[in-house]
Amino acid sequence: MDASKGRSRSSHGLSRRAFIQGVIAAGAAVSSVNYLFRGNALGQGAGRGVAERLLTLTVNGQQRRVDVLDQETLLMTLRYKLGLTGTKIGCDRGECGNCTVLIDDVPVYACSTLTRIVHDAPITTIEGLAAPGGRLHPVQQAFVEELGPQCGFCTPGQIISAVGLLKVNRKPTRAEIAEALAGNVCRCGAYDHYLNAVQRATELI
Amino acid sequence: MAARDMMPAFELLQPATVEDALALLKRRDKDGWVLAGGMDSLDWFKDRIKRPKAVVELGRIGALRGIRARGADLEIGAMTTLTEVERDATLRERYGLLAQAARRVATPQIRNRGTLGGNVCQDARCWYYRAGLPCYRAGGNTCYADTPTAINREHCLFEADRCVAVSPSDTAPALIALDARFVVRHAGGEKEVPAEEFFIGPKTDITRMTILQPGDLLTAIRLPAAWANAKSYFEKAADRNAWDFPLVNVAAAMKIEGGTIRQARIAVGGVAPRPLRLKAVEESLLGEQPGKEAAEVAAKAAVWGARPLNHNQYKIPLLANLVKRAVRSMA
Amino acid sequence: MAAYKLIGKDFLPPDVIGKVTGRAKFAEDFRAEGMVFAKLLRSPMPHGLVRRVDAAQALAMKGVLGILTAADLPKVTAPAEPILTSEPLYVGEPILAIAAVDETTAADALDRVKVELEPLPFVLDPLESLRPGGANARTEGNVAAPNLKLQTLKWSARDFTAVREGELPRGKPAEEWHYGDIEAGFRQADLVIEESFITQALAHHAMEPRSALAYWQGGKLFLHGSTQSLAFSIPPLTRILGIEPANLHYVSENTGGGFGSKAAAYTQMAIPAFFAKKLGRPVMLRVSREEEHDFGRSRPGFQGWVKLGFRKDGRLLAADLYIVQSGGPYGAVNDFRNAGRHVSLVYQPLAMRWRGMPVLTNTPPRSAQRSPGETQTSIAMDPVIDKAARKLGLDRVAIRHINAPRSDGTIGPKREPLTSSFLPEALELGAAQFDWAAKQALSGKRTGSKVTGLGVGIGYHAAGNSGFDGLVLIRPDGKLYIHAGAGNLGTYSYAATARAAAEALGMPWERCEIVYGGTGRHVPWTCIQAGSNTTFTITRTNHVAAMDARRKLQEIAAREVGGEPAAFEVGGGRVFLKAEPAKGLAFAEAAQRAIALGGKYSGQELPKDLNPMTARSAAALAGQGLMGVAKDTLPRNGVIPGFCAGYALVEVDVETGQVEIKEYLGVADCGTVIHPKNLGNQILGGAVQGFGMALLEKHVYDPKYGIPATRGLATSKPPTYLDVPVNMRWAAVGKPDPQNPVGAKGAGEPPEGAAAAAVLCAISDALGGAHFGRSPLTCDIVLNAVEGRPQPFKPLDTNI
Ligand SMILES: Cc1cc2nc3c(=O)[nH]c(=O)nc-3n(C[C@H](O)[C@H](O)[C@H](O)COP(=O)(O)OP(=O)(O)OC[C@H]3O[C@@H](n4cnc5c(N)ncnc54)[C@H](O)[C@@H]3O)c2cc1C
Ligand code: FES
Ligand code: FES
Repeated sequence: MDASKGRSRSSHGLSRRAFIQGVIAAGAAVSSVNYLFRGNALGQGAGRGVAERLLTLTVNGQQRRVDVLDQETLLMTLRYKLGLTGTKIGCDRGECGNCTVLIDDVPVYACSTLTRIVHDAPITTIEGLAAPGGRLHPVQQAFVEELGPQCGFCTPGQIISAVGLLKVNRKPTRAEIAEALAGNVCRCGAYDHYLNAVQRATELI
Repeated sequence: MAARDMMPAFELLQPATVEDALALLKRRDKDGWVLAGGMDSLDWFKDRIKRPKAVVELGRIGALRGIRARGADLEIGAMTTLTEVERDATLRERYGLLAQAARRVATPQIRNRGTLGGNVCQDARCWYYRAGLPCYRAGGNTCYADTPTAINREHCLFEADRCVAVSPSDTAPALIALDARFVVRHAGGEKEVPAEEFFIGPKTDITRMTILQPGDLLTAIRLPAAWANAKSYFEKAADRNAWDFPLVNVAAAMKIEGGTIRQARIAVGGVAPRPLRLKAVEESLLGEQPGKEAAEVAAKAAVWGARPLNHNQYKIPLLANLVKRAVRSMA
Repeated sequence: MAAYKLIGKDFLPPDVIGKVTGRAKFAEDFRAEGMVFAKLLRSPMPHGLVRRVDAAQALAMKGVLGILTAADLPKVTAPAEPILTSEPLYVGEPILAIAAVDETTAADALDRVKVELEPLPFVLDPLESLRPGGANARTEGNVAAPNLKLQTLKWSARDFTAVREGELPRGKPAEEWHYGDIEAGFRQADLVIEESFITQALAHHAMEPRSALAYWQGGKLFLHGSTQSLAFSIPPLTRILGIEPANLHYVSENTGGGFGSKAAAYTQMAIPAFFAKKLGRPVMLRVSREEEHDFGRSRPGFQGWVKLGFRKDGRLLAADLYIVQSGGPYGAVNDFRNAGRHVSLVYQPLAMRWRGMPVLTNTPPRSAQRSPGETQTSIAMDPVIDKAARKLGLDRVAIRHINAPRSDGTIGPKREPLTSSFLPEALELGAAQFDWAAKQALSGKRTGSKVTGLGVGIGYHAAGNSGFDGLVLIRPDGKLYIHAGAGNLGTYSYAATARAAAEALGMPWERCEIVYGGTGRHVPWTCIQAGSNTTFTITRTNHVAAMDARRKLQEIAAREVGGEPAAFEVGGGRVFLKAEPAKGLAFAEAAQRAIALGGKYSGQELPKDLNPMTARSAAALAGQGLMGVAKDTLPRNGVIPGFCAGYALVEVDVETGQVEIKEYLGVADCGTVIHPKNLGNQILGGAVQGFGMALLEKHVYDPKYGIPATRGLATSKPPTYLDVPVNMRWAAVGKPDPQNPVGAKGAGEPPEGAAAAAVLCAISDALGGAHFGRSPLTCDIVLNAVEGRPQPFKPLDTNI
């Protein structure tokens, strides 16, 4: 098997079965004993049985059943259990913003949020923004038009923060955008282009 | 190397009432940990420095959330997020000082999860302590930040007692300046304490930042009507304009009648192990006109007794100047 | 200027959509069947010796699969960096790795590994190591650099006492050069000034930590890594791994920033590779932010001294520069040397001496960082130039302008020529657009507690190379496939340079595909994706490959249509008779013909001078279309300088010491602008990093325990949105470099030094010329200065 040929697949519009197949095609072994977190099979869980660990998450409009440990962060659930690798790990400490997702339309750091705590709220990740046919969300479109990203590692988090802002403020000023995106570091320093992009997005929406 | 990102296993408990939470905490005693927004707690767990076996999460307890009138006072549930504090219309109008302070905390995402209760209960940020070194505060018998060569640019000017860490909270000085009351619940009952008494220094207990004992919960913070709509000022000096903890912050509330200061409350953070109320400054202002002259006196009084460490001398003029600005702004 | 169809126009690089949708794959986004996780046990002390490792308890844990230690790995000779070490030389250096079925179990297992370490003497401050009896960072010595052997060098007590307090002691250097007669220069000078300075080391902190996934299949290693370069990473990687290039399938489609820290291969990528071999399973090494700080490289700090002699009109007659470099434990950086070259170029002194002392320190390993050595030099030199301007009563742009190299300028002790220099034009354009002259009225103006200051700074880096290969293929689908051996780290130069091939063939961009992202894509031997090298170098290789394809198209057309090859033109996806454009072949047909003809036309016969990597790639593609493949043998004479002039307006709050950058303009001399929008992103992005260097970022260490304080992003403090101006501006001179087929040269590196220096100079300007000789200027330092308080450190103290 050649993992380099694997493409990431967003969950969007895929049934659970299709999704699991998609991930397996991409090389991930989603099986009863997951490979990231210690399962009960290892005898060191904090007391919950497998049945009890199963949660239903609403991610990008899809209901997803997933086995979640008590100490598991949403970031790890998304990336290693649900195959949603668009949400990035930059620091795992609430210090970069790469892991930003929307919970109930509010931007939060997935690295600093336990999955079990937010499991009953709708979660939106970068994979959930484009329309089912693949048409980009206006913010994504604007990021493309303004050549927002440099390396692109911080980009999903930037876009999610911008989407969160535009949900509560449709016509933010440049300074308001900077305030709202201040929890997203860009080490490449693409701030000026990102600000241009969010301003452009307000015209596209 | 402590930092490994992956938290050790713990049991996550999510009670629906304060009573259940208290009962759980009592049962789990030293193994238990109160979890609010988790913005501070999870880092300790990931670094494997604090290793509770049971984590009691307060998010399901509706009674701990929200901002509501309580007679003429305003009550804020401990689990209210900093964003809610920053945005709430009543709060902005009547206690703008607190809204402003909340707005200067960290980043939008941290404010969206971080709670007011968690912000006032958060632990010290001394980098030696956070590195997991066995210092006094961690139960050891030395202070790494107070050696002749230690790097203590962020550390304290006042009230050092074996530990030289500072209070990192931006909302704490604002709450002291507004004469807030903290509601503490424990298995035996409830008490209400003035904000300035909620915070304790190492002299009282070197391993804690507040009066909360294991098993206690902070349930609400009450803002008195007496300080609603007072003239106020908040400023925070930090290295970066997002994320960074205060090097020094100042919160001031005053009542001015006919151009004369009748009442004044000023508190500062980042200069002592607890947020400090500057009583000498307050007193110097009573009966004065807010302006340049009063500001100069206040600035001098603010730094009385400061004992700088090697690298934090600059905090003396910084503190003095921020207090000066606070007083000047009242004119 | 040539009229281009593509060069100089904005376009959409093919990876952007993936970046905005989350589909772009970085190393840690890949998964492999049966993948397990490695986690590292790293040194808690700055220097020590591993006496004993007891992992029995850890290995007995359920789910734990194995351990990898230095004993499992090839030995290296000092000062080279080992993969895992038994003599850690800095806090956080990897000692061993544990693999387990999940990451939590691996972390739990590490808790149960017992390691006994014997502490050894350590050194953080290079000057301490140079003192008689001072500690050495390594048991084998205290001085090393590329091509300078590891050795022990100390200065005498006299060297240290011969200087004033705060002045850099200047004992015998490890290296030196000079040209001209500096003593005569100083004698003739109307003004001589002397300053010591320090720039602090700082982490690159690329946004994507350097995670890697490895597995073996049929004797071949499949490795997903995070490197800036693709092709250029292969030789060092195969050397570290001890395998043949043909047995390495390396994938690096997207790299989340590097800034020099991931230029080519680094030892830590080998950990999952060796571990995967040992375990017979795919191994993921997910690198944490703290690990990225610790072993993810850093820029060396300088402690330095400079003496400059000026003529009345500002012309620099003589320069004497001494640089002590904090080189980390492996010393693998040339920054100290680049400092000398920078001064010789940017100010064209008539006589100059450079001396350098690259000292080893028990701090994170160093690597080049955006304008390595030059950014530190901008930071150190520009404020000194300002000081001279003030003393001479000259305008600060004018003094830079009079010294700035024209295209006939030279660099280094051998006075090497330049391919072009339009630095004077960049300064002029910047001054005009920034309104420098009119803004002088604002200098030192106080409003409330805020004082305005203006600054100008110059950034430089040698930006280009030659002698690499280009490879393009016209397939029977009529499309042009441009094979890119460059990496993709966010500069989009892999894509912009591809347009040089399309331009040369007159090919519409919609019918071009860039083939990149892994050795499996059959890429040519290509220069390092670092140091602003790619633009100059790869526009040349793509140009020569395209010209080779063009010749072959002409020849095929001549065969098919009749006539001389030279009678044919290419364009619009066709090769046709100039005189009778209707007569000709579509590229699709020409590709079919090339396949039928074979030989050189479809890559069965290759030029002899190709690099073996290119030859392998070309062989793999042979027979699939019309191949253009060539080594860049175009003439080149001289160093290719990329420049940036930065202009800043700041406000210094004299009550808090805080600095706000209100305005910024960066102006590049990067030859022809090939991709304007992206150039803007580079100039301003570099500026943001420069602001960090000027105001915020540094390595901080406790001197007694040797442990770092600034390991996370919250403590390293890269600038946020709120620490940079809400509007920034850029411009470019746009004059073509004559030695590049499209006139382009590199642009990415110089903006950092330009911005950092401009901001530092602006702070000095606001404070009436106060000279700090240090960076970053955090608010405590500024406030102490304003208040007339002593700083809590000595002038040359570092890591504070
Ligand atoms: C990168 C970063 C930057 C930051 N910058 C700033 C800043 O600039 N200014 C600032 O003020 N803060 C800053 N913070 C701190 C942040 O605001 C606090 O971590 C946050 O407010 C804590 O709230 P929380 O709800 O997340 O608490 P948690 O992390 O859940 O809890 C914090 C502590 O309080 C205890 N606790 C919480 N609630 C209660 C309760 N109701 N009763 C009893 N005990 C309780 C917990 O047991 C724990 O010990 C920063 C944090 C990070 C990670
Ligand atoms: S990964 Fe969550 S904030 Fe950095
Ligand atoms: S684009 Fe590279 S970190 Fe933002």
